[in-house]
Amino acid sequence: MKLSRRTVTVTTIAGAAAFATIVSGCSATSGEAASADNPTELTVTTFGTFGYDDLYAEYEEANPGITIKATNIDTGGNARTDVFTKLAAGDGLSDVVAIEEGWLGAIMEVSDQFVDLNEYGAADVKDNWVPWKYEQGTDAEGRVIGYGTDIGPQGLCYNGKLFEAAGLPSDRDAVAELFGGDDATWETYFELGNQYKDATGKAWFDQSSFVWNSMVNQLDEGYYTADGELNVEGNPELEERWALINQGISDGLSAKQARWDWGGGKAFVDGSFATFVCPGWMLGTIKGSLESGGGDASTGWDFADVFPGGASNWGGAFLSVPTTSKHPEEAAALATWLTAPEQQVKQSAAAGNFPSTIEAQETLAAEATPNELFNGAPTGAILASRAEGVVAQFKGPDDSVIQENVFQAVLDRIEAGELNAQTGWDEAQKLIGELLG
Amino acid sequence: MSVLTSPPELSDPPATRPMQPPARRQRSMFRQRLSRLDVKASPYLYIAPFFVLFALIGLFPLIYTFIVSLFDWHLLKGQGDFVGPGNFIAVLGDRFFWNSLFNTFSIFILSSVPQLVAAVAIAAILDQNIRGKTFWRMSILLPYIVTPVAVSLIFTNMFNEQYGLINNILGAIGLDPVMWKTETLPSHIAIATMVNWRWTGYNALILLAAMQAVPRDIHESAALDGAGAIRRFFTMTIPSIRPTMIFVIITATIGGLQIFTEPRLFDPVTAGGSARQFQTTVLYLWEMAFFRQDFGEASAIAWLLFLIIVAIAIVNFFISNRIASAEARVSARRTTRQLRRLHAFNGQQTDAAAPGSLEIDSLAVGAINASSIDASSLPGDSAPTNSRSITDEETGR
Repeated sequence: MKLSRRTVTVTTIAGAAAFATIVSGCSATSGEAASADNPTELTVTTFGTFGYDDLYAEYEEANPGITIKATNIDTGGNARTDVFTKLAAGDGLSDVVAIEEGWLGAIMEVSDQFVDLNEYGAADVKDNWVPWKYEQGTDAEGRVIGYGTDIGPQGLCYNGKLFEAAGLPSDRDAVAELFGGDDATWETYFELGNQYKDATGKAWFDQSSFVWNSMVNQLDEGYYTADGELNVEGNPELEERWALINQGISDGLSAKQARWDWGGGKAFVDGSFATFVCPGWMLGTIKGSLESGGGDASTGWDFADVFPGGASNWGGAFLSVPTTSKHPEEAAALATWLTAPEQQVKQSAAAGNFPSTIEAQETLAAEATPNELFNGAPTGAILASRAEGVVAQFKGPDDSVIQENVFQAVLDRIEAGELNAQTGWDEAQKLIGELLG
Repeated sequence: MSVLTSPPELSDPPATRPMQPPARRQRSMFRQRLSRLDVKASPYLYIAPFFVLFALIGLFPLIYTFIVSLFDWHLLKGQGDFVGPGNFIAVLGDRFFWNSLFNTFSIFILSSVPQLVAAVAIAAILDQNIRGKTFWRMSILLPYIVTPVAVSLIFTNMFNEQYGLINNILGAIGLDPVMWKTETLPSHIAIATMVNWRWTGYNALILLAAMQAVPRDIHESAALDGAGAIRRFFTMTIPSIRPTMIFVIITATIGGLQIFTEPRLFDPVTAGGSARQFQTTVLYLWEMAFFRQDFGEASAIAWLLFLIIVAIAIVNFFISNRIASAEARVSARRTTRQLRRLHAFNGQQTDAAAPGSLEIDSLAVGAINASSIDASSLPGDSAPTNSRSITDEETGR
C-alpha cells in the first residue's frame, strides 16, 4: 500500500499552497545566470565508480556561484530503480542524472521527460563523440536527451600470479596470444578454463551471468532485433552461447560468487577465480573490491588486450537533464563540460573507465599511462584497442528485465544445481512470457 | 410549586429587570447555543486531526490505489486503458503471487511464533524481582532502536554462503555449510531471525507492562494456597494479559505480512532471490511496480494484500479471544467438577463423621474460588480415592 502512493498527487493535495510558493520562488531566480551573488545549487546523481569528485571541485572553482551536490548510487541496477521511482513520482530527480545503457531503452519510451539538449548547443559538440554513442542518446524524434560519458569496451582481466601457478603464461601479450589474439573464441576461453581447473582445482570465472552478458552484448542483435522485436526464442546465436556457458558451469568453472559483492571483495583477493570479463568501467569496480577485500597491486590482477568472441561493449553511461530541473541551462552546461574530451580523460584516470569522445580515446591511446593496480598495464590504451570494431547494440525497453530478472536469475539457479541447460532455457522462455506480458 | 421553590419576584422577570436590553438576551441565547454546540461538536473537533490525517495519508491512497488497479497503468507512461478486474485476475493467475504469499506466511510464522513465545518468556522473567531491572529492560529494547537496514546488512553478511560468519563456524566444527540464500527454508529462517532479533524485545516490553498491571495480591494469595510459579503464570498471568496479547499478535501479523526491508536487502541484486525463494508479497509488489513498471497490477497486489491482512487480523482476533477465554472456561469447568466432588465427598463424610465436614467444605470452596487449584491439593485423606471414583463415573457416562 505504502509503495503505490503517487507522491505527486499527495503532494499536490497536501500542500498545494506550499508547492506553488516553491515553484514561483524558483522560477523567479531561474532567469538569471548563476554568479557569486546568485548562487545556484546543482544536484548530480551518478552510480558505480564515476570518478567525478575532482571534476566537481574544478567546475565549482571555475564557475563561481555554482555548487554541486553529488549523490552516487552503488550499482547501475539501484540507480535504475531510483530514476524510475522519481520519474513516476514526477519529482525528486537531480538536475543531472546518469543513465546506464542497459536501461536506456526504457528511458527512451519517456524521452519527453528529459530536456532536449539541442536547445543547449548539442549540435556544437556532436562531433566529439563516436557517432554511435551520440545516436544512442538521441530519441526517435531527433531530440538529444543524453551526452555520452563512457563506453564499455571489454578486455580480459586475469590474475597473473594464479596463471603462473597453473603453468600458464602471465605476461599480458603472451596471455592475449594464448586466448587467440584477434581470433579469440569462447571455445578457447572455456578450454583454457578446463586446463586451469585441472591444474589448480579452482574456478575460472567469478559467476556465469557476467560472462553471459558479455556473450550477448557482442552480438549484432541481442535480446531485441534492431527493429525492436523480441529476439530470444529460436535465436541460434543465443542458443549456441547458452550451450557454451552451461558446459562451463557443469565443468565447475564458475566460482559461484555473489555478483557486485564477491564476499565483500575477498573473492578477488583469495584466488577464488582467475579471469574476469572487464568492460572499462569494471576496472573501477575491481579497484573498489580489491580495496574492501584487502588486496592491492600485489594481488596479481592484470589486463590483457584480448576478448573471446571479438569486440564487445557492455554498458556505458549518459548524462541527462530531466525536465523537472529548475536550472536546465546550468545543468546542461555542467553535463556538456563533464562529457567534454578533456574531462573524460581525467574521469578515466580517476575511475579507469573508457571515454566515449574520439579525442579523449586518442589521448588515452597515445599516453598509455600504466595502471599501477593492474600490474602497470596501460589500461587506457588497451581499452582503446578493444574499442575498435565495437558497435552499439539496440537495447529494447525491457532489456534490463530480460538480463537481470530472466537470464541472471536462471543462471544463478543453474549454478545452484536447481536447473540444467535445457530446463534453464525453458524456464527463461517461460519467464520472458510472464514478466513481459 | 413555584411558591415553594422560587421567590415571587423571580417568577416575574420583566417586573424586576425591565431594563435588560434585548441584545444581551440574544447574546446569552447565542452563548447558550454555542456552549451546546461546544458540548456536541468539540469532541469531534478534538479527534479530527487524526481523521483528517488518516483520510489524507491512509484513506486517500487506499482509494487511489484501487482506482489505479482498475487501469493499465505504466510506471513511467502513466494511465492507460480501463481494464476493470483484469489486473486482479492477472495477479491471481500469477504463480509468483502465490509463491510470494507462501513465502510471506512461511517467514511470518517462523518469525511471529518464536518471537511471541520468547517475548512472553522474557517478559515473565523481567516481571520477577531481579537486580538491575531497568538495565535489563533497556537492554532488551536495544535491537529495536537499530534501523532495519543496518540489521539486515549485518545479518546478510553473517549469513553469506561463502564468507559468512555462521557458515565459517559451521565449517570449523565440521558441519556442511548451509545455503542460506539459495535454499528456501534456510533463507526463510535467516530472514525470520532478523525480524525476531529486532522485534522480540519490543513485544516483551509491551507484555511486561501488561504483566505489571496484574494485581500482586492475587499472585500472593495463589502462592499461599500452594500454586507454583508456572501454574500461576499459565492460569493467572496469561489470561490477565489477554487484551495486550491480542494487540501484540495483531500488530505482529500486520508487520509480518508487510515484511520488505529484510528480504530486499538479504540479496540486494535480486528481488527476493534468483528463484524468488524468499520474495515476499510486498517485495513482489515492489518488483511489479518499480522493476516491471506495471503499476496497475502492483496496485491490485496491494489491494489483495490489504484484504488478506484484514482477514488474517479478524481470524487472529477470534483465535486469541478463544485461547484466552478457553483458559477461563477450563477453570470454570474445573471449579464445577471440584464442587461436585466435594458434595459427594461431604455426603459420604456426613454418614461417617458429621462434625468437621462443614469446616472442610467451606475451606475447600474458598480455596477453589481463590485460585482454582486442582483436586490433589484438596484437604482430607480420603479425597484422592473418592475423586478418582467420581472421575471414573463421569467418564463412564
